[in-house]
Amino acid sequence: MATKAHILKPGETAPRTVGRSLLLTLPIALWSLLMFANPQRQSNRSVQIASVMTAVFMIALFFMMMRTCSTFRWRRWFFVALGLLFPVGFIHNVMVMRGTMGIPIEEMIAGRTPFCYLPIPLLILPAAFTKTLLFPGSILPGGGMSGAGMAAMAGVWLAITLVVGKGWCSYACFFGGIEEGMASVPARAKLRKIDPRWRYGPWAVLLAMVLLSLALFEPAYCLWLCPFKAVSEYVAARNAVGMVQNGIFVVLFAGLVVALPLLTKKRTQCAFFCPFGAFQSIFNKTSVFDVKIDRTRCSPCVLCQNACPTMSLTTESVTRGETLMSCMKCGACVDACPKGAVVWHIKGTEVASNPERARLMFLYAAWGMAVMFGGSIIVEGLATIVHVFV
Amino acid sequence: MAACGPVVVPSLLTERAGLRPNARYLSAFLGARFLGYLLFAAVAWELGVLVSLPPGPRMLMVGVIYMLLAGVLLWYAYSAGHVCARSCSSSELVSISVTRKRGVSGAAALGFLTGLSLCPPFLAAGLRAAELGSLAAALLFFAVFFAGTSIWFVPFVGLGCVARNEAVTTVARMTMVLIGLYYACLGLSMLLGRKVYGN
Repeated sequence: MATKAHILKPGETAPRTVGRSLLLTLPIALWSLLMFANPQRQSNRSVQIASVMTAVFMIALFFMMMRTCSTFRWRRWFFVALGLLFPVGFIHNVMVMRGTMGIPIEEMIAGRTPFCYLPIPLLILPAAFTKTLLFPGSILPGGGMSGAGMAAMAGVWLAITLVVGKGWCSYACFFGGIEEGMASVPARAKLRKIDPRWRYGPWAVLLAMVLLSLALFEPAYCLWLCPFKAVSEYVAARNAVGMVQNGIFVVLFAGLVVALPLLTKKRTQCAFFCPFGAFQSIFNKTSVFDVKIDRTRCSPCVLCQNACPTMSLTTESVTRGETLMSCMKCGACVDACPKGAVVWHIKGTEVASNPERARLMFLYAAWGMAVMFGGSIIVEGLATIVHVFV
Repeated sequence: MAACGPVVVPSLLTERAGLRPNARYLSAFLGARFLGYLLFAAVAWELGVLVSLPPGPRMLMVGVIYMLLAGVLLWYAYSAGHVCARSCSSSELVSISVTRKRGVSGAAALGFLTGLSLCPPFLAAGLRAAELGSLAAALLFFAVFFAGTSIWFVPFVGLGCVARNEAVTTVARMTMVLIGLYYACLGLSMLLGRKVYGN
């Protein structure tokens, strides 16, 4: 019986064969096995099971990206899992180590808190002026961090950032998953008209927190504005100020991470608030990869603009054939374009000369990073859950 | 410089670009700050006990100043929206007023209030002023203190080189709102008679 042939739209890529997709998945599969086959962790049965589950999950998602030639929907599964499982593993660890999620200010100042990369850009200036690090987190068991440890972390971050730019926010950040999950719940956005000037919010938070951290010599963002304190650790409320601080955390989390993504179908915390995202945007200029609009194929249907979770596409930017510097390279616009006009691109090459090759190269870098950072967090969260049953 | 940065940087960024407008802003800011200093010096000398006030009333005073600072910052952000809505093309300094015709210079209001902020070095200087033999000596001491600390404001003139566009002025206004809210929270906590941190 003859089957009806699938007619490809302009720019649409045909699904790959299973064999070819498997072949393309092989490097990531090997990388995943290398990352998750840690003999030291394998002594714990829960971790063993969680590692296998995570490896299969990450490899399967990458395989589907190769097979279907689409990125966003598969990446979203990983990203939401990361966002949901991070608090599970984190809270479990904090409770085991401290018995409470509340961290006294003295502990925070002493740096005896779990390490968080988010406030680092906000504390560069105080560090430069005072030669003292204010990092509210440690990578050493007794608190604080070694120079070598910091240099290694900075080196890894720089290498990754130079390649993927703000792709960090879509493939490695463990904070954005919850809101992406929330944004994917409603079929349509109830709140469609958003003043584009809210896009400047992350820069304002960045500037305000840099200045306040410098003036007060304290990690102002961690003390006053971090929405994710609501699902990780919080300031131990021993007085009215502590209550106000925790109230702000909860309100910001409820508003920016839960309510507004549900109403707008956007990643509102990432798009309008996150200071680390603003800082990371700068490195979109140095990143090898970007997303371009092939003007010869584009009909101004604004589907890409509607799909973008961070409002990084405007009519003007589409006319220029590029995204704004806040683009997180999540792939939503590329997948949404029915004409194949929005394409992955390697800087210095012709736009749309071989977008699928550009996508592949980007994904190897980004997914490798996702396995390395996100994968270990997913393992930790899964192991916590598995431990209940095993 | 660090202590005044949260107030000066965003408000300066809402003004017109160029070294001259920025120098004019800083002149108004520093002039009013000088007045604040002199007022504090006079009161410190006259009362003699101001700086040795017990922590409770001192917190109350700082709380009031923080609340005023927060109010001025929020009002400034609102007023800057009228003066330089998109491109910040006004040649006048931003005024904070209800009628939008006549008002207090925003830079001067902020300068005066930061001049009254009771930071530790300022309190130490106040203590010294209180111990001096005459009011003139106290005023002179604070005038020199002002001159010494004002040098650190010179780098702020460099912000005049930052191009002003919708993005910069919007970010500056949003920053002012955030910092205003921060001072409001801090001030409110102090007015409620609470310690900021600790048991």
